[in-house]
Amino acid sequence: MAKPLSQCIIKLHEEQHNLEDYQGGVPRWCNGCGDNAILAAVQRLCRDENLAPEETVFVSGIGCSSRFPHYMKTYGFHGIHGRAFPIAQGVKMARPDLNVFVNTGDGDCCSIGAAHWIHAIRYNMNLTVILHDNHVYGLTKKQASPTSPIGFKSNTTPRGSILEALNPLTVTLGVQNVSFVAQGVDWIPELLYDIVSRAFHHRGFSFIRIIQRCPEFLPKMFEPWLHDPGKTLLLTHANGLQPSAELARTYKNQREHDPLDIHRAREIASSEDPIPVGILYQNPEVPCYEDLRGAGGPRTVEAIRKGLDAEFDKFTFWPDDGNQSRAA
Amino acid sequence: MDMAARFQDQQVFHMTGRRSGDGLAALDKSPMRPALFAGYRDLTRLRHDFPLVLVESGITDGYAVSLTLLVNHVIETLAPRGIEGERLRKHVLRLERELRAGLAGGAEGDLSELWATAAAKLASDADESVSKVLALAGDSLGVDGALVDCDDRLPSRFMIHAWRHVQAQKASVFHGHLDRLQRRLSDILRAAFVRSEAGQRPDALRASVGGMHADDFDFTAMSRLVSRNAPKDQLPASRRRRIEWALSVLTSQRFHASRSLPGSGEASYGFLFDNVAEAVAAYRERLPQVVELVKAIAIAELEARNDYDEKDHDPFFEAYDANSLTADDLALFPDYLVCIPVGRNDLPENASLMDTLSSGLPVKVVVQVTDLLEEASIGTGHFAFGVRSARLATAAMGLGGMFVLQAASSSLYRLRNRIEHGMGCSGPALFSVFAGAPEAAGELPRYLTAAAAMESRAFPAFVYDAAAGENWATRFSIEHNRNPEIDWAKEPFEYADEQMQRVRGESAFTYADFAMCDKRNAAHFAVVPRDRWTSAMMPAVDWLALPEREATERIPYLLAVDGDDALHRVLVDARMMQATKRCLLLWHRIQEHAGIHDSHAERLLAREKAAWEISRNQELDALRKASAGAPTVVSEAPPPAAGAVAAAVAASAPPPEEKPPSDDPWIETARCPSCNECQLINPELFLYNENKQAYIKDANARTFRQLVEAAETCQVAIIHPGKPRNPDEPGLEELMKRAEAFN
Ligand SMILES: Cc1ncc(C[n+]2csc(CCOP(=O)(O)OP(=O)(O)O)c2C)c(N)n1
Ligand code: SF4
Ligand code: SF4
Ligand SMILES: [Mg+2]
Repeated sequence: MAKPLSQCIIKLHEEQHNLEDYQGGVPRWCNGCGDNAILAAVQRLCRDENLAPEETVFVSGIGCSSRFPHYMKTYGFHGIHGRAFPIAQGVKMARPDLNVFVNTGDGDCCSIGAAHWIHAIRYNMNLTVILHDNHVYGLTKKQASPTSPIGFKSNTTPRGSILEALNPLTVTLGVQNVSFVAQGVDWIPELLYDIVSRAFHHRGFSFIRIIQRCPEFLPKMFEPWLHDPGKTLLLTHANGLQPSAELARTYKNQREHDPLDIHRAREIASSEDPIPVGILYQNPEVPCYEDLRGAGGPRTVEAIRKGLDAEFDKFTFWPDDGNQSRAA
Repeated sequence: MDMAARFQDQQVFHMTGRRSGDGLAALDKSPMRPALFAGYRDLTRLRHDFPLVLVESGITDGYAVSLTLLVNHVIETLAPRGIEGERLRKHVLRLERELRAGLAGGAEGDLSELWATAAAKLASDADESVSKVLALAGDSLGVDGALVDCDDRLPSRFMIHAWRHVQAQKASVFHGHLDRLQRRLSDILRAAFVRSEAGQRPDALRASVGGMHADDFDFTAMSRLVSRNAPKDQLPASRRRRIEWALSVLTSQRFHASRSLPGSGEASYGFLFDNVAEAVAAYRERLPQVVELVKAIAIAELEARNDYDEKDHDPFFEAYDANSLTADDLALFPDYLVCIPVGRNDLPENASLMDTLSSGLPVKVVVQVTDLLEEASIGTGHFAFGVRSARLATAAMGLGGMFVLQAASSSLYRLRNRIEHGMGCSGPALFSVFAGAPEAAGELPRYLTAAAAMESRAFPAFVYDAAAGENWATRFSIEHNRNPEIDWAKEPFEYADEQMQRVRGESAFTYADFAMCDKRNAAHFAVVPRDRWTSAMMPAVDWLALPEREATERIPYLLAVDGDDALHRVLVDARMMQATKRCLLLWHRIQEHAGIHDSHAERLLAREKAAWEISRNQELDALRKASAGAPTVVSEAPPPAAGAVAAAVAASAPPPEEKPPSDDPWIETARCPSCNECQLINPELFLYNENKQAYIKDANARTFRQLVEAAETCQVAIIHPGKPRNPDEPGLEELMKRAEAFN
C-alpha cells in the first residue's frame, strides 16, 4: 500500500546495514565466553530488522556482560551496578520511539539490582531484556552470585555456597504484569536468535534469561548439557519456537507449550534438568507503563517551564483569592 | 364456488383496490399496526438500545453507549444480589423509565443533568433515602454526554458525534507526530545557536546560567574560553532556511485544531458542512495549504534525520504539487463531513454527490432518507442524486473504491464499530440512513418505523468496505439484518385464539407489513371481520411463493392488531403485492453480493457436480470391467487428486541428512555460538560467515595439527578435522588418533 509522502521519501533513502555495521569495539571477553554468542545473535537481529543504529540503545549495569554496549555500534549506556533497569526506563520514557535493550548479569540483576528488577517487571515497559546468567560474578573474579549452584566454591564461599540458587524465571513469572519470559542457552545459536527475535517483537518487558557459559570460572559446569541433547527440553508452539527440522533431529526432547499458559510456564520454569529452552510465557495484552503515562510528550523548554510553574503555584499565595494558600 | 361468490368483494378489492359494500373496512377508519408490533405499544417501558449516551467524558470503549447497558452496569456494581438489592434495582429502573419518558416528551440535555432532574422528580414523592440512592447511582454511571433518543434528529447527531470522535483520535496522532518534528527541528536550531558566535557571547552565557549564580561567574572570561575550542555554527544557510520554513509551516497549520492554549494562532478550519458543493469548494481552496504542509512534514522528517540531500530532494520538492498527493497523504488531515439535512437531498448544491464520491476526495457524506414508500408502491418516486433514495447506497457501491454503509437509524448503535471504521477510512464514504417515516405517515414512533424498514427489507442494512479485501466476500456484509440468509425476517409470535388459548408461531415481516404502518398507504389495505374469513385467504408470504396461476385464485392477507390488541386479517391489493415482490427482488440482489444464492457460484457448483458425476461413473465402469477380467482402462493423465497426494508425501519426507562423512575437514556452522576460540588458532583457516558463525575458509591454509587442536578447543565440538592432506606432517599418527573423537 502507498504511504504518506514523508514515509516514501525516507524509505527511499533508508540504509541497509550489515552485521559488521553493528560491531563496536573488539570484545574483551575471555576466549570461549558465552557472551560472544549473545553478541552475535543480537547483531544478527539488528541487521535483520534493519534497526537504525542512531535509534537503538543498549543499557547495562556493571559486569563482564555489562560491557555489551561497548561492542555495539549503536547508542549505549554503561550504567552503574544494578541500575540498568531504571536507566533504561528513563530512556524509554523520554524517547518511546527508540529500541531499548538491557544487558544485565546475574549479579547485576538478581543481587544488587533485584529491587529494580521486580518493579521493572511490574511496570512492563517496552524493553528487550537479556539476563546473561553465568552463575557467578565474572568481572570481579569469581564470587558466588544468587544463581550459583549450591556447593559452589568461590572467593566468597570457600567452603562451597550453602544456599539454594535463585531461579530468575520463576521469580519473574511471579510478579504482577509479567508479559514475556523466555530462556535460551548460549550454545544453541539458532534458538538463541529466535528467542531474541521473539522478545524484540513482543511489546512489553521481554525478559530472556540466557544460560551463559563462563569458561574462565566455571569451565565444566554445562558440559553434561553440551554433550547430551536429551538434557535440553525444547518448548515448541505455533506461538512460540518452531525449530528447524535439523535441530529437531538433534534435540528430540520436545514439548508443546502454549506461551499463554502461565501455570504450566511456572511449572516448566522450575526445572533445572532438563534445561527448558523456548518461550515460557507471552501475554501481549498487558498494558505498558509508557502508554498509561502518555510518555514522549513534548519536552520543550516552554512545556517544562509550564509544568514547573504549575507545581510551584501549588505552594504560592495569590493576592486575588484572599491570601489563601493554593496548597493542595 | 359458493363461498367465493359470497365474498366476491374481497376478490374485487384485491384486484382493483376498490372497496365496495360494508364487508371490508378501510384501514384509516380503524387504525391497525402489524401484529408483530403488539408488544411494542409503550416504548418507554421497553428496555431497548435507546436512548443512547453520546459519550463526551468518562471511561468506555466506544463513543456511544446505550442507557440500558449503563444502568445494568450500575445495578451490577451497586445492588447486592438477591432481595437486599431489590429496592435499589427498582428505583434505578424506575428512573431509567422516567428518562425514556422524558426524552419522548421532548426533554434534552446531558445524562448527568437529566438524571438529576428525573431523580429529583421521583424523590419528591418518596422518602429521603430514595434521593440518596439515586444520586449514588448517578455518580457511578461513569460516563456523560448528550442523552439522545431514536428521533428525527438522531441520524445527524449520531453521525456527527462519530465523526468528531474519529477526528479527535486522528488529531491526537497528528499532533504527536508534529510535536516530535517541531521538537527535533528546534533542537537543531538551538544546538546551532549554542555553538554559534552569538551563542557564546557573554550575555548569552549569562542567560543560560540563570539569575541565582550569575554573579559568581566571569562571563567574559567564560566566553573567551568556550569560543576558543568550540566549533562555530555549522548549519549551512540553505539548511537553516529550510528548517525555519518547515517549522513555520508546522506551527501555523490550521487543519487540526491546536492542542496548546486556545487563542494561540489562527482558528482552525472547519470541516463540517451541510451540502456537498461547499465542502468541495473548501477542499479545493485549502489544497495549496495541504500541499505545503505535506511537504513541510516530509522535509522536517528528512532534516530531523539529517538525510536531506539537496541534489536529490530540491528538484523533487520543487516539482511536488497537488497532483502528487496520495490518499495516504490526505489521510493525515481531517475528513470533510457533509451531513445533508432531511429533505435537502435534491437541492442543486448536492447534485454533484456521486461525482464527488467517485473522485476520491476525503469526504464523508451522510444522506438521510425518510420516505421509502412513496416511491415503490405509489410510483411517484422521489429522485435525488439521479436514483431512488433507497438505492442510493447500492449505486454508490457500484462506483467502487469507497466505504458505503446503509442502515436505519434504529440500528446505528449496533453498527457503531462499522461506522467508526468508515469515518476513519481514507478516501470517501457514504452513509445512507433511513431516519424513520415522516410525520405524515402516522403516529408510530420513529424507532419502530425505522426498525420496520430494515426488518421488512425495504431498507436493509449493509456495509461495503472497498479497502477490506480483494473480493466481495471480504468487502460486503449484510450480517446486521435479521435472518440475512432467507427472504423475510422471522419473528416468534404469540396470540390468543377464540377459545382464549395461547397460540405460538412464527411470523414473517414483509414489505407489505412495513407499508401498512404508513397511513398514506391505507387505500391498499382492507380489514376483514372474522366472520368473513375464507379459505381463499392466505398469508401474504405464502401467496408470494405461489405460481402465478394459483395466485390469482387466492387473496393475500397480513395479520394486524387494533388499539386493543385484537387480531385482524388485512387484505392487500395487487398493486401493493407488486411492490412487495419488487422489494424482494432487490433484496435478492443484495443477498447475492453477500454470497447468498450467488448465481455464479451456484452455476459453477452445478457444472462441477455434473462433471464429477460423469468422471465417477467412468471410474466405476472401469472398475467393473477390470473386475470382470477385461483389460484395465488406463486414463491418459492421472486424476489431479493423485498428483496432489504425491506432492504432499514428498513435502513431508525428511530432508536428506546433512553431510556425508568425507575426508575434508568441516564445521557444523549453524551450531557455532561464535566463541572465537578457533579463530585464535588460525584466523585464515577459520572465518565467520554473515551470521558470525565459523566455517573453514581455506583448507590449504592449515596444518592438520591446527584442525585437531581447534576441534579439541571448540566447546560445542562441531569442528570435524577429517583426514590429513599432507602425509609428511610430523606427528600425524598421534594427531589422527586424537582426531578420531571428532570425525
Ligand atoms: C555498587 C557496586 N558494588 C559492587 C561493585 C563490584 N562489582 C562489579 S561487577 C560485580 C558483579 C558482576 O556480576 P554479574 O552481574 O553476574 O556480571 P558478570 O561479570 O558475571 O557478567 C560486582 C559485585 C560495583 N562495581 N559497584
Ligand atoms: S570471566 Fe567469564 S563471563 Fe567474564 S568474560 Fe570471562 S568467561 Fe566471560
Ligand atoms: S571454536 Fe567452535 S564454537 Fe567457537 S567459534 Fe569456532 S566453531 Fe564456533
Ligand atoms: Mg554473572
